[in-house]
Amino acid sequence: MALALENVSKHFGSLVAIRNLTLSFDVGSIYSIIGPNGAGKSTVVNMIAGSYSVTSGAIRLGTTELSRLPKHRIAQLGVARTYQNLRLFDGMTVLENLEVCFFPQSWISFLSGTKRLGKAERLDICHACLAEFHLSDVADVLAGDLPYGRQKILELARAFVTQAPIVLLDEPAAGLNHTETKDMAAMIAGLKRADRAIILVEHDMDMVMSISDRIDVLNYGELLCSGTPDVVRANERVQEAYLGTTEELDDIRKLAQGRRAQGGLRSNAGIVRH
Amino acid sequence: MGNPVIVRRIGLLAALALCVVLLALVPKLPPYYVRVVDSILIYIILAVGLNLVVGYAGLLDLGFIAFYAVGAYAYAFLASGQFDIHLPFIVILFIGAAVGALAGILLGFPVLKLRGDYLAIVTLSFGEIIRIAINNADDLTNGPQGIAGLDRASLFGLPLTSPVHFYWLLLALAIIVCAGVYYMERSILGKAWRAMREDQDVVRGLGINTTTLKLLAFALSAAIGGAGGVIFGSFQRFVSPESFTFQESLLVVLIIIIGGVGNIVGVIAGAVVLVILPEVLHFAAQYRLLIYGIVLVAVIVLRPGGLVSPRFNLGFIVRKVRSLWLSPSKT
Repeated sequence: MALALENVSKHFGSLVAIRNLTLSFDVGSIYSIIGPNGAGKSTVVNMIAGSYSVTSGAIRLGTTELSRLPKHRIAQLGVARTYQNLRLFDGMTVLENLEVCFFPQSWISFLSGTKRLGKAERLDICHACLAEFHLSDVADVLAGDLPYGRQKILELARAFVTQAPIVLLDEPAAGLNHTETKDMAAMIAGLKRADRAIILVEHDMDMVMSISDRIDVLNYGELLCSGTPDVVRANERVQEAYLGTTEELDDIRKLAQGRRAQGGLRSNAGIVRH
Repeated sequence: MGNPVIVRRIGLLAALALCVVLLALVPKLPPYYVRVVDSILIYIILAVGLNLVVGYAGLLDLGFIAFYAVGAYAYAFLASGQFDIHLPFIVILFIGAAVGALAGILLGFPVLKLRGDYLAIVTLSFGEIIRIAINNADDLTNGPQGIAGLDRASLFGLPLTSPVHFYWLLLALAIIVCAGVYYMERSILGKAWRAMREDQDVVRGLGINTTTLKLLAFALSAAIGGAGGVIFGSFQRFVSPESFTFQESLLVVLIIIIGGVGNIVGVIAGAVVLVILPEVLHFAAQYRLLIYGIVLVAVIVLRPGGLVSPRFNLGFIVRKVRSLWLSPSKT
């Protein structure tokens, strides 16, 4: 199954957030969408998930046109997502946060009279998912009581628990410290599967460069460059638009290292732009 | 809690036995007190029903009494000389619940896009519209005079005439409603409602149709309201629009807020307190409402989360009983 954006544009009033964007995401890979602030990365995610309507163009999953469907239908077809700022159900337990993802399946089979996923099976799946994401010890803790890093991981688990073929991750590393970011990158890399496309919007360049199969660079709502991490890293237009000019790149890295040394931080943390 | 299991088991048994004995003793009370208990039970049923919408789905409905009116008038139409229809009580009980649910869906459709204050205002208006419509539809409802002389209800050949009969009926219905709502609360549907209350947008992103979810809450809660109305009609054997004013809607909402939103045990406690309080305050004559108001304000100030802590819910009690009885080693 493939997700395709065909000539998609998004206007907010007179502001053109996305202009004639054409992209295709096949299952089996990890894709990253990067770009400077305001480039339209989150807009793309929000359009795919159905939170924003598209102004023109079409978004297709296989042969189904998503861009005309309501948000919950898009999710039912297999598009799961996380949010830039954490949005868990704080008053529910960690386990319940995952369980509730199975409501649509349960409801649809209830209406159509087909066999429902039993409660025991549902709990088994959720517990297995919690184990995979190292959250088993907090299964009965309220999501709102978890430390920030684990909340991020729970949101990740919630996007993967139903085995959706398309998973959109909107800045999974935002607000995490260096170690947590590395863990998160390893975790996402480990979630790559032949029947799943993971689409990542992220500012942490180390993470993006290390786990992506393809990187799409957006600038002012247009596709600037698309290719493997090496291709993107070598592309001068990308360096100019996103990282500064080629010379500046080194300057920035030096500057950052200097600042980290002063602050007592690790000097190998790389350039992290937020 | 260093008490040995056996002591705690006995304590639990004693508590349960006390509840059963108290419930069994109610019929021995003078009729006035039985009526008060009946009234408490009716409000428990209504408040537990409304709690589905207010407590679980997080939608403030200020017109709940309209469904109660629909149920009561269903009984009046189908079991009186008004149209000379005389259906059995049990049949009307189900019809009342179904018509209530239908009214709930009818209300639900237009108001689903609204949230918070706006929803409250529209549901409030809906409650008033139903009451005023009943008041004005003279041909159908006799208007403000109401419909009198409703049939004596009977259930499986047993006549329901005295408050004691209704006590047993209401007690049974209250237990069924509480158990049903508790089951729903624990099911995946209940979890979806709670999730929707926290973040509607994210819930949609999980593939859940929030419109269906809200309609379901409205319909189920209205069905409970409708069933309660049928019993009310058969109990009073007289219905008039006066019984279904905004104050009644407000009382049911207050029971939920004072008791503890989203908590069945809290709602039961709220109903007991808010129904008994005015009765107890009879001695205060004209100061009754003043004291009543002061008590309510005091509760809100001192216990803003409700009289009963959210932790002390039906699930907690069930777990307690289960752990003491089925696997005492775990406690």
